Amino acid sequence: MSNEPRGLWKDWRLHAVVLGIVILTELIGTYEIAIGAGVILLLPMLYAVVIGLGTFFTPLINKAQSKKAETLVFMSVTLLIAKFGVEAGPALPELIEAGPALILQEIGNIATVLIALPVAIFLGLKRETIGMTHSIGREANLALISEKFGVSSPEGRGVVAMYIFGTIFGAIFMGLASGLLASLLPISPLSFAMATGIGSGSMTAASLGPLVSMFPEQSDIITAYSGASNLLTSVTGLYMSLFIALPLAEKYYSLVMKIKSKGKGVEK
Amino acid sequence: MKEKLIDWTLTLTIVSALTLIGNMIGYGVMPLTALPGIITLMAIVLAGMVIHHYLPFKVPSIAYIGILGFLVTIPGVPGAETLYAWTAEVNLLALTTPILAYAGISIGNSWADFAKLGWKTIIIGMLVLLGTYLGSAIVAEIILRIQGIV
Repeated sequence: MSNEPRGLWKDWRLHAVVLGIVILTELIGTYEIAIGAGVILLLPMLYAVVIGLGTFFTPLINKAQSKKAETLVFMSVTLLIAKFGVEAGPALPELIEAGPALILQEIGNIATVLIALPVAIFLGLKRETIGMTHSIGREANLALISEKFGVSSPEGRGVVAMYIFGTIFGAIFMGLASGLLASLLPISPLSFAMATGIGSGSMTAASLGPLVSMFPEQSDIITAYSGASNLLTSVTGLYMSLFIALPLAEKYYSLVMKIKSKGKGVEK
Repeated sequence: MKEKLIDWTLTLTIVSALTLIGNMIGYGVMPLTALPGIITLMAIVLAGMVIHHYLPFKVPSIAYIGILGFLVTIPGVPGAETLYAWTAEVNLLALTTPILAYAGISIGNSWADFAKLGWKTIIIGMLVLLGTYLGSAIVAEIILRIQGIV
């Protein structure tokens, strides 16, 4: 594991800052903002990201501590994953019943290529598109693309851009979007729960939070589905990217470029 | 290995303590009530990491942790009900707050790079996340409806 957590517990100032953030954000509590028919749920965890980022620009937190916090995200996510597991056990019959949906929704992760890639080409990007849209661009995909194309290739630049975007904005964006989508669209919270396993611990946590607090009576099964989907993605995600999403993105890229150049030919 | 294990345990203890405090303030569960639950979760995590360390498969440690947590609470497994009842005292949202607080602090490091990304990346990035999320939700919804589960 690249996440070597040696001696992280020793950094008292870092943990004290997080303690302060936890106390403050939990005291503020949850707020709902109605946007038309939809609802954006503001949860303590969302304030926590923003305040956490804010502390980086104060003398409280230095660069080295920010680097350590990265590994601490991994360490704290493991507790959440264990919680996913224990919620899933009692729901075993429901999970078996929902098995087909759980497995097939993994393919839904690929849908993103079909939508985002043409838009990226339309915006004028070239082969960067492949790196950007073949997946949500987390660590495993970063490794995959840099191994295949090199990190300074256009594809490499694309995946790095997506990685940075996801790192900064992913959890905040998913936290806001998840509640809004669940309140607006005629899709069951159970289906959204299955969609939360997108291959990033903090994004999973952020998208699951609003679902659990909007549908408290279904929270056990929502957590179980989310955990199962998260587990499936963590085992199959890299292989899905390698064998399906990446080849698909490359073929689709050539196809869209061909259509685009034909369209231009006609205009001339 | 022993040294690593002690290190993991100490780090997890700190995160657990933060979780228990959030669990008390936000969800009204006394730390003592939730203590057996968080210890159970810690034990599952540590066992998962040890298994990951010794098994040769290229599977992330969180996969072992998830599977292990799942196995110990399957109905009929000895102690499953007790373990489940303990962990139920640890609110899921109380676990997410420290994760995202650390995440917030860690993203400060990438902030300069983020500022350099163009608006195009931001639009495409949002589309990629939405596409992944909605794509999966729609596929799941179709199948759950065919099966009559929702």
